[in-house]
Amino acid sequence: MTTRKRRRWRREAALPYLLLTPALILLAGMVYPFGLGLYYSLTNYWLQYPNRFRFIWFDNYVALLTEPLFARALRFTLGFTLAAVVLQVGLGLAVALFLHARIPGRKALRALMLLPLMMPPVISALMWKIMMASTNAGILNYMLSFAGVAPINWFGSTNGAIASILIIDTWGNLPFVALILLGALQALPTEPYEAARVDGASPLATLRYITLPLLSPFILLAVTFRTMDSLRIFDVIYATTMGGPNDATTNLQIMALQYSFQWYQMGKGIAMAIILLVLVVIASALLMRLWNQAAERTME
Amino acid sequence: MTSRDWFRRLGVRNSVVLLAAAVLLIWTVFPFVWILLTSLKNPGDIISVPPKFVFTPTTDNYAALVMGEQRGQYASTRPDFPRFFLNSIIISIGAVALSVAAGIPAAYALARFTFPLKNALAFVFMSFRFVPFLAFVIPLYLLYQRVGLYNTHAGLIFAYQLITLPFTVWMLRSFFQEIPLEIQEAAKIDGCSWLGVLTRVILPLSMPGISVTVILGFIFCWNAFNYPLMLAGRQTFPVTVGAIQFISYEQVLWGQMAAATIVAALPQLVLSLMVQKYIVRGLTMGAVR
Repeated sequence: MTTRKRRRWRREAALPYLLLTPALILLAGMVYPFGLGLYYSLTNYWLQYPNRFRFIWFDNYVALLTEPLFARALRFTLGFTLAAVVLQVGLGLAVALFLHARIPGRKALRALMLLPLMMPPVISALMWKIMMASTNAGILNYMLSFAGVAPINWFGSTNGAIASILIIDTWGNLPFVALILLGALQALPTEPYEAARVDGASPLATLRYITLPLLSPFILLAVTFRTMDSLRIFDVIYATTMGGPNDATTNLQIMALQYSFQWYQMGKGIAMAIILLVLVVIASALLMRLWNQAAERTME
Repeated sequence: MTSRDWFRRLGVRNSVVLLAAAVLLIWTVFPFVWILLTSLKNPGDIISVPPKFVFTPTTDNYAALVMGEQRGQYASTRPDFPRFFLNSIIISIGAVALSVAAGIPAAYALARFTFPLKNALAFVFMSFRFVPFLAFVIPLYLLYQRVGLYNTHAGLIFAYQLITLPFTVWMLRSFFQEIPLEIQEAAKIDGCSWLGVLTRVILPLSMPGISVTVILGFIFCWNAFNYPLMLAGRQTFPVTVGAIQFISYEQVLWGQMAAATIVAALPQLVLSLMVQKYIVRGLTMGAVR
């Protein structure tokens, strides 16, 4: 190889990195605060007492993990995630199957479902907050009164607050699941269905033994995305209950917010966020494995 | 014809289908209808029991929004909505422009070259979507206070890269990968360098994909709430943070808040309908086509 050729080869090997440079610089701009945050999480950084700044190893983590509120916030985070994912994926699947069955006006319904999906979550929360006013002036309580339901104190009672956050989050994200699964349904191969019809399989058996197995990678994809986002839900809670009443809707995000921007214990606040990050990473690793298995099964 | 006759003629199956479609439609659309009505009511009508469907509409709430901080009672405490709207536009356009400028070459490299660490790098970009925002925002807040980026458009545009950059890189990569390799090879044989391939083949052929990425990126920036909540002040609040300013210790300005939510939602509702075919793809960062 001549030197010229070799130089040219070297330049080509460097090219992809060169192309990536601007994006990597921006990425470094994100990694730096994150690294700084990791460091702060090991200190007692308190904005009001900068002079006491000290490296304290894992004291923040130990203090947080042993705090009574942490157990409650963790329980709410996990419970909310489970409820939201089951509700949204279950209803989303039902809506997808419904819209897949050539009903009239399904194109219009599909388009309309994009509207709640693309709303800023905080704006959705404010919209529902108006509808969920606790007296009969709130349209939701007024409508429920026809079904004989007494006025619900939506944001002021424990169950009401949890239910309202679930409803608002579901309103915005059910279309996400429904549209993923509808797209997947429309792309399914037709042969298994023809075979099932020849064999005289009932619609329920077709759903159970053909549609659901073929859909499983997409269902798991929807579960993965919804789990990641539900674990970190913030906007809706902030705009409605702020974690109340009596910490009933305080999740790990809200707890981290309280430590950092309410009490200015920045070190503890970041430590809380990192604990949540660990939870998210564990959940995503588990779900990715399930997703890979499901994808392999449908390949066979 | 009574309603019972009507259902009988329709048949049980069709009635159920119709009922389900109606429930789905009402669940999806009613909140928008109600908020639109609320935004056209005067304060007395808003708190009336039972809620009013028929009332004399007023444009006072929208007038108050447009007026912003300029005039009127309690001027200094009034949310300056026109400014919030302008802030949203500036920050969203800035963030998307920066992400696309850095994202195009990066996505090209990740789509069309093989090199060590390629998949690891692509994964690192993706992983930022799942980090709890406070892990970034708290240190950014402390840094911004020190270097003077707190409450500035530039600071927010940079922070928004956490939203737009991973998304832009993954979306553009998925669009670039769709262009057949043969076209690229033909261009190379005709003497195109990597730059020629990018500007004469990849970019023109993926223009629709780039537009979709820009529009979706803009929508995601428009929807952002948690980063500006911590890193912006009254001068740089976008509409999402601006809308909650109608809730104060003294009172909630329901009518104005309803009008604000309508105005805040309008641009991205129009944009979403424009790119509706690609929304699922965008929300899964290219995973579902």
